[in-house]
Amino acid sequence: MYIEADILIIGGGSAGSMAAIVAKEQNPKASVLVIEKGEIHRSGSIAMGMDALNIVVQPGISTPELYIDSALVATEGIMDYKPSYVMAERSYSILKRLESWGILFPKDEQDKYISLQVHAKGKFLLEMDSPDLKLILAEKLKEVGVKVINRTIITKLLVTNGHVYGALGFNLRTGDFIAISAKATIMANGGCARFSLPNSGYLYGIFDYPGNAGDGYSLAYRAGAQMTGFEYTSCSPLIKDLNCPLLYITLTRGAKVFNAFEEEIKLEYLSTQSMLKELREGRGPIFIQLNHLPEERIKEIERILFRVERPIQKKFWENRGIDFRDGRIELGITEYQLCGGHGMTGIVVNEKTETSLKGLYAAGDVACVPFQHLTGAFVFGEVAAENAIVLAKNTQNKKIAETIIEAEKEDLFKIMKKEGNISVGEFEYKIRRTISDYVVPPKNERKLLQALWWTPRFRNEMKKIRVNDFHELSRFKEIEFILDCTELSAHASLERKESRWGWFHYRTDYPKQDDVNWLKHIVLEYGIKSGEPQVSLVAIKNKGD
Amino acid sequence: MPLIINKELCSSCGECMERCTMDIIRLDKDGYPYKKYDECWYCGVCEEDCPENA
Repeated sequence: MYIEADILIIGGGSAGSMAAIVAKEQNPKASVLVIEKGEIHRSGSIAMGMDALNIVVQPGISTPELYIDSALVATEGIMDYKPSYVMAERSYSILKRLESWGILFPKDEQDKYISLQVHAKGKFLLEMDSPDLKLILAEKLKEVGVKVINRTIITKLLVTNGHVYGALGFNLRTGDFIAISAKATIMANGGCARFSLPNSGYLYGIFDYPGNAGDGYSLAYRAGAQMTGFEYTSCSPLIKDLNCPLLYITLTRGAKVFNAFEEEIKLEYLSTQSMLKELREGRGPIFIQLNHLPEERIKEIERILFRVERPIQKKFWENRGIDFRDGRIELGITEYQLCGGHGMTGIVVNEKTETSLKGLYAAGDVACVPFQHLTGAFVFGEVAAENAIVLAKNTQNKKIAETIIEAEKEDLFKIMKKEGNISVGEFEYKIRRTISDYVVPPKNERKLLQALWWTPRFRNEMKKIRVNDFHELSRFKEIEFILDCTELSAHASLERKESRWGWFHYRTDYPKQDDVNWLKHIVLEYGIKSGEPQVSLVAIKNKGD
Repeated sequence: MPLIINKELCSSCGECMERCTMDIIRLDKDGYPYKKYDECWYCGVCEEDCPENA
């Protein structure tokens, strides 16, 4: 299939859906195409629903400046001013837009939005009651006339002279090959959730949507875009064995956390670092306790946990015979992951969502706007669409050469002809275990070099993988994405010769934070000659820069 | 864990297969859904979006 589009959006989650809707608003005549790896009604990180909009600056209550102060605490100074400012500034209008689409934000008796404090300064988190958020977005897409192609994985961005002009991919059910020529391309395909191995040992038993295999990071990196924040390898204490979210929902409603010795763990700004430390230093297991809360508060927590984001929790607790009124919730450490939404890993973007490549914009978890969460996905979905529509007006579709299409087809389909004897799952397990061994904290130079010793060997050994169908071919491509992320993360971690962000970039050979030398971004770019990531240090852009 | 369905309620409409976030569900020869691939993350979409509550 060969398609020409004005705007191509890769990924139909929160950011991509918003971008598509706004692009049609800006220019109803524009052809807007969303390529989605899953199915648009339940795709992206919010397969089910969401219980909060994490950052909303309400006029008269808080200010974008106060949000920036909070973000500086969370990022320990490694962030540019403008993108975070623009997000905060536009957050209230996003809230109003979502409300106008029927998404409910509960209010108190004084008719004020229910807001909770999870940041260092200011109450920015607004409760949201929306198990059907994604369904609402999908209906909107249909209403405004966005074309959606589901079950399709993008395997290559097309770039010439630093200008992205389309993408190639295939349908993971039928194998139908697709080539898309676009005037502007918006990347909105998430972070890398399938990074280290979860403690359960089960590849997909992870906290975020496992379809996020670092597709966007790898595609943008290989197209030549600048990437940053790959040394920020983060994990969370969530429900042990299930890795489902519940932390903010319970902690903001008065839950307490205890260690094995019945000592209460104090949490600074609801930071998870102290909990992780208890577990690391042998004072676990740790538990969330709710039984001191009034019945109505416990019911509220249950209603959110069992209905909105991962309703499967209800069965999980029933099977274990645990009731929050007398039982406790055991927490375990999740796998490590890379994410631009609840972390700070991603494609380098400015406040207009422009990447270092012309014609390529990035929004949501794939872009580095630290801790932007769902608010960032929506705000920058809007921003990306506004800018992409302007670019598209003055750009022509570039014809994709037949030779390029044939070369990619051949590369892909020859993978299926190999007579390998290792399954895709077995191979992914080896890689993810190696990430656990060498790329996540505690880090040191020798470990990181060990990871980089493995990555070319893994690439070479991929010929031994047996690929039975197109579904497995997509998993094969995802393994390549995970390997790229591994390499990027190891290089970035090697470069940052200090420790920062508590445990998340703790180096035993450089255990101290060093603001004199390392208040900088570590930026990675594909080395055309070497094929290796080229590392550079880039100054932080503060207010006024 | 296999997909647990109530065969009396299932109408073989295939909605669970269409909505599955990891695309791992297929219908067997009798029209009932099963996990063809081993990549479930227990998101709960198949259960939530089943029109028959099967």
